[in-house]
Amino acid sequence: MTGWHLDDDILRRYVERTDSLAEGASVEQHLLSCEPCRARVSTAAVGVIDFAAVWDRTRDAVEVPRPSVFERLLRAAGLPAHEARLVAVASAFRSAWLVGVITILAFAALAAGIGQARGMWLFLAVAPVVPCLVVASSYDPWLDPALEPELVTPYPALRLILLRTIAVLAIALPAVVLFGLVVPGRAPFAFLLPAVGFVAVVLAASTWVSPLRAAVVVSVVWLAVIWQLATRSGPPGEVLQAWAQAGFTVLAVASFVIFLVRRRRLRQVRPWR
Amino acid sequence: MDSRPGDETLLLAVAERDMGAFRTLYERHAGWLAIRLARRCNDRDLVADAIQDTFVAVWQKPQGFRGDGDIGAWLWGIAIRRLVSRLRTRSRVAAVFENTEAAPAAEDQVLLSVEYGDIGQALARLSPEMRAVIQAVVLDGLSAKEAAQLLDVPVSTVKTRLHRAKGRLRAVLAEGPS
Repeated sequence: MTGWHLDDDILRRYVERTDSLAEGASVEQHLLSCEPCRARVSTAAVGVIDFAAVWDRTRDAVEVPRPSVFERLLRAAGLPAHEARLVAVASAFRSAWLVGVITILAFAALAAGIGQARGMWLFLAVAPVVPCLVVASSYDPWLDPALEPELVTPYPALRLILLRTIAVLAIALPAVVLFGLVVPGRAPFAFLLPAVGFVAVVLAASTWVSPLRAAVVVSVVWLAVIWQLATRSGPPGEVLQAWAQAGFTVLAVASFVIFLVRRRRLRQVRPWR
Repeated sequence: MDSRPGDETLLLAVAERDMGAFRTLYERHAGWLAIRLARRCNDRDLVADAIQDTFVAVWQKPQGFRGDGDIGAWLWGIAIRRLVSRLRTRSRVAAVFENTEAAPAAEDQVLLSVEYGDIGQALARLSPEMRAVIQAVVLDGLSAKEAAQLLDVPVSTVKTRLHRAKGRLRAVLAEGPS
């Protein structure tokens, strides 16, 4: 403490910037260590910037939790930060995604455990419908309260839903293919096309009904078909035939085209609640 | 003295995630920091952004202050670098260093002779460009690279101007006040 303080004239010149370089530098050096003079300058600072607004933004910035591992992964994959946030924001989405991957992996392991034919039927019954259930729950407004503000913001619903779908598939599929080394036969790879086909069907159907309802209907139909095939005790290889795979490809492409044509209907998501 | 908590106490509380202490710290320091930043940069939005960045940085790393020296100096060190970094991401912003150079009044001369002796007058005789470099490098303690970003000139220019400014100052001080 020097006992020296800014007098009112110097303070005024400093705030109004009518001082010389040397005087300004002298004032600034003093301010670094003088609490009372800092307070006086701060009082004169009203209106330099909107301090209340800057405080609000600062508080918002520090209260936002650090991006999750998942979100940082999406950003590392090249997605802009705000889109990574949108894709990852819903906790319902993350948990649905986690449950989906674990379910597929569990059934893959189970199928490997209980042996050739029955194990493959089990895997084929469950694995193809899991991705469409995960995708549906990732944007079903009933499961995902975060979706409402997202859809209120002027952000294309189509893009959001596609991004989430791709996020689901891009992370779930490699995990399953990895397990293909454990499961007998070509089943884990054969499940890819029906899985993609069902996701496309759910996307298309969600322009009419709630995505979750669509996914449940698709799942039930698929389980019934598998049940029929299995009780006729045909070999599971039948589903893997080229004609079946080609059918799933057509299904996927056709559904996706319908989805794109009717995408404006996605705006009507909220009345489903 | 009054019984308000000191800055170091507040900083410890901020480290404990105390939003009230953070707010007090903001109210105590945002003002003078903003005024000082506004003397370096005409764009008020950019100054506001830099203030926000500064306090976000304080919240994230309050332990960055190691208790040596005054908190004011520590905060200013963060603030001026945040401003430089904001300037880097936005291309063309006029950094201001040219004060409307009023002739020093009599009280100024007294103050200057107390605080700086002849240096004040020597500085006043430098060109605005040279004064800007002196202010950024010598008074604000920025590196040549940071000063270059703040002033929007190449690093080599900063170094040349600094060299010339020092030479001018030396010459002016050697010949004495005229």
